[in-house]
Amino acid sequence: MSTAALGPVLVPVLAPVLAAPEVVSEAALRAAVDLLVRLVESAGAVVIFLGALIGFVRFVVAGLTDSGDDAFVRVRLGLGRFLALGLEFQLASDVLRTAIAPSFREIGQLAAIAAIRTVLNYFLAKEINAERAQVAERAGQDADRPRSGPLARLLGRTAPGMGSPPSQA
Amino acid sequence: MEQLLQTGALLCTAAALVCGALALLVTRKFAMALAVLLDLLLAAGLLRLALPPTPQRLLTAASLVVVRRLAGVGLRDRSTAPPPAGPSTRPPA
Repeated sequence: MSTAALGPVLVPVLAPVLAAPEVVSEAALRAAVDLLVRLVESAGAVVIFLGALIGFVRFVVAGLTDSGDDAFVRVRLGLGRFLALGLEFQLASDVLRTAIAPSFREIGQLAAIAAIRTVLNYFLAKEINAERAQVAERAGQDADRPRSGPLARLLGRTAPGMGSPPSQA
Repeated sequence: MEQLLQTGALLCTAAALVCGALALLVTRKFAMALAVLLDLLLAAGLLRLALPPTPQRLLTAASLVVVRRLAGVGLRDRSTAPPPAGPSTRPPA
C-alpha cells in the first residue's frame, strides 16, 4: 500500500490523538518538580543541621574529657560525612531544578550554586579521606592515654605527673 | 522554611565559635581550633546556601570555600615544614 493511500487511513486515526489536551500540563509538571526540589533540599538541610548538632555535642564531650587531638579528628570526620551527604542532597535538588525550563537568570544562579556545591563536595571528600587515613594511622597507638580534663579528674583518671587518683580503700 | 534555615545557620555559627574556643583551650593548637571552627561555619554556610540565592549569599559561600582551602594549605605547609634551626642545647663536652 503506498504512502498516499495510507493518508486517508491514518488521518482519522491520529486526529483525535493529536487534538487531545496535554496529559500533563506544564504548570502541573512545574509544580510537581518544585515540590520534589523542596523535599530534596529540605532533606539536605536536615542532614546538615543534624550533623552539626551531633558534631557540637561530640566536640563538647571531647573537650571536657580532654581525649586529645584524635578525638577531635574523629568528630571532624563524622561531621564531614554528614556535610558531604547533605551536599549530595543539595546537588540532587540542583539537578532537579534543571528539569523545568528556567530563564537565563535562573540558569546563571543555578550554575553558580551548583559550581560552589560541587567544588565544596570535591574538597570535602579529599579532607575526609585525609582525616580517615590520619585516624587509621593513629589507631594502633595507645588508646588508653590517661585523660586530664575536668570530667576525667572527676572520674578519677589523671595524666602522668598530675598526681595519683584518689585511693579507693 | 527560610526562617528555619536562617535560625539553623545562626545556631551553627554560634556552635562554631564555642567549639573553636573549646578546641583551642583543650588542644592548645591553633590549627585544630581553626579546623573545628571552619567545619561548623561550613555547615552554617551550606544551610544559608539552601535559602533563595542572592549575590551576597553566593559570594559568602564562595569566600568560605576559598578560606577553607587557603587555611588548610597554609596549616598543612606549617605542619610539614622542617622545624626552625635553633641554638643547640647540648652541653659543652
